Amino acid sequence: MSELYHLTLSEAREKLLDREISASELTAACLGRIERSEPEIRACLTVMAEQAVQTAAELDRRGPDPERPLWGLPLGLKDLYCTKGVRTTAASRMLENYVPAYDAHVVSKLKEAGAVLMCKTNLDEFAMGSSTEFSAFGLTRNPWDQSKIPGGSSGGAAASVAAYQTPGGLGTDTGGSIRQPAALCGCVGLKPTYGRVSRYGILAFASSLDQAGPLARRVRDVAWLLKVMAGPDDRDNTCSTRPAEDYPSAAPGKLKGLRLGLPQELWEARLDPDVAEVVKKAFAALEAAGAVLIPMAMPNLRYSVAAYYILATAEASTNLARFDGLRYGRRSEKPRDLTELYTASRSEALGPEVQRRILLGTFALSAGYYDAYYQQAARVRRLIRDDYFQALDRCDFLLAPVSSLPAWDFGRFAHDPVTVYQLDLMTLPVNLAGLPALSLPAGLGPRSGLPVGLQLIGRPFDEMNLLGAGLAFEEAFPPLL
Amino acid sequence: MPIDLKTVRHTAELARLDPGHGLSPDEAEAALAKLADELAGIVAHIDILSEAETSGVEPLYSPLIEAPAPREDRPADCAHIEEILRAAPDRVGNFYVVPKII
Repeated sequence: MSELYHLTLSEAREKLLDREISASELTAACLGRIERSEPEIRACLTVMAEQAVQTAAELDRRGPDPERPLWGLPLGLKDLYCTKGVRTTAASRMLENYVPAYDAHVVSKLKEAGAVLMCKTNLDEFAMGSSTEFSAFGLTRNPWDQSKIPGGSSGGAAASVAAYQTPGGLGTDTGGSIRQPAALCGCVGLKPTYGRVSRYGILAFASSLDQAGPLARRVRDVAWLLKVMAGPDDRDNTCSTRPAEDYPSAAPGKLKGLRLGLPQELWEARLDPDVAEVVKKAFAALEAAGAVLIPMAMPNLRYSVAAYYILATAEASTNLARFDGLRYGRRSEKPRDLTELYTASRSEALGPEVQRRILLGTFALSAGYYDAYYQQAARVRRLIRDDYFQALDRCDFLLAPVSSLPAWDFGRFAHDPVTVYQLDLMTLPVNLAGLPALSLPAGLGPRSGLPVGLQLIGRPFDEMNLLGAGLAFEEAFPPLL
Repeated sequence: MPIDLKTVRHTAELARLDPGHGLSPDEAEAALAKLADELAGIVAHIDILSEAETSGVEPLYSPLIEAPAPREDRPADCAHIEEILRAAPDRVGNFYVVPKII
């Protein structure tokens, strides 16, 4: 483990500030790693090699700056974040050649903080999926076993970090899209509270559920990234006016006496034997360390998949209405009239899963079904959030699986959308409630040898304590990367 | 609630999608039928929502715990027309070009 690209983000940060290594050296090491691993992993849709080298050289000319928290750190971005002058595709044919005229808020913040942006990572088209197989531009392979999916939708981000291409990256989480790939690739992934991070410039999937967040190899690393990402932005009025906190200073919590609520509806779901075994060991270790595990009934979670797939697709159907072939994105050749221009452009350029979800959402919002589906789902959403608030009143954090399966074979669920939707049960209720959740590696499955994750779920805007508890977990369950 | 071919066709029209785009009439019919099956399968699972007791429950459309505040109304720099129009599939001067509509 002597190569520079093996350094964790926090380690690299220290060495950069101490001038032990230069931004250019670290960038070159990571670019070399990308070049060697990409033919197999294929985590990146665009590699910004030239810009990265230039940025790093410029940073080195000026010298390390402790006021810039990510000075010299190479990072990947899910290809859902708009990057000025750099192609941003959402892994869709619709945006295959789209070059944004502006940076997402978070991208500007990373640049200000001195980060070196390296690559745009693969995802399920418009972040709709759980395996990255719905990318229009090819599969990403799980670095732990290349016959397996990396998870999704931020599968490229997780695979890139797990393949040591960069020490950290940014994903987005609408129903688990940071936490699940993080777990399946052995990374740490944080979904912040809804409103903690600006969504400005992130291609929208479901606006009341989408939240940007970091992935890395250590808890402290995601804390550094969150510190830069979080905070007010008046271009997103759902973004909280609360200032970002100094997350990297979070003190490790104590497992002794820590009260962890176990949502029964999730733990009683069928878990793969590998996942069950890792979890059993984890529970024993937590109890041995003095944590108190408290089973909790959260009866409305049983409706969460149904509510989510109505609300998320309804919002997607309106958000994706903007792709009409007129102002940007792909336009169909020689349409007869305006209606055909809309319909042909969309039908040619949007993939099957995106079309399925747009149709489902349009159906849920259409006359005659709006009350029974959309309104009812929104009412159930309140019940689900109430369940969380009541449960969190009785414990410090909730503890849940991230995925009932370890990384699975390519194509396993290709013809079974319903089963794939059900797999999201572990992660999506948190998005309905808008809570922060931290996905942590808990160990390797004894049969598969693949990573298994656990997630801690906290109160709104309690990222500081959530990260503190994560640090305590990290001591009990050593990192896998 | 079963989703039949007619519902799918109507929904697709509303969404400006054509599941049979670029296919022969037979293939298009088959694609539509397959989609209707898939959507019916999904909706069958979603129908569990009707079991939830929600009388008197206010819908929750956003999980925000603080009411969003409008930003101050002041001029600010933004992307320029030329930068934005560069992404247009077809343009003349500062206008987007679309097929003739009248």
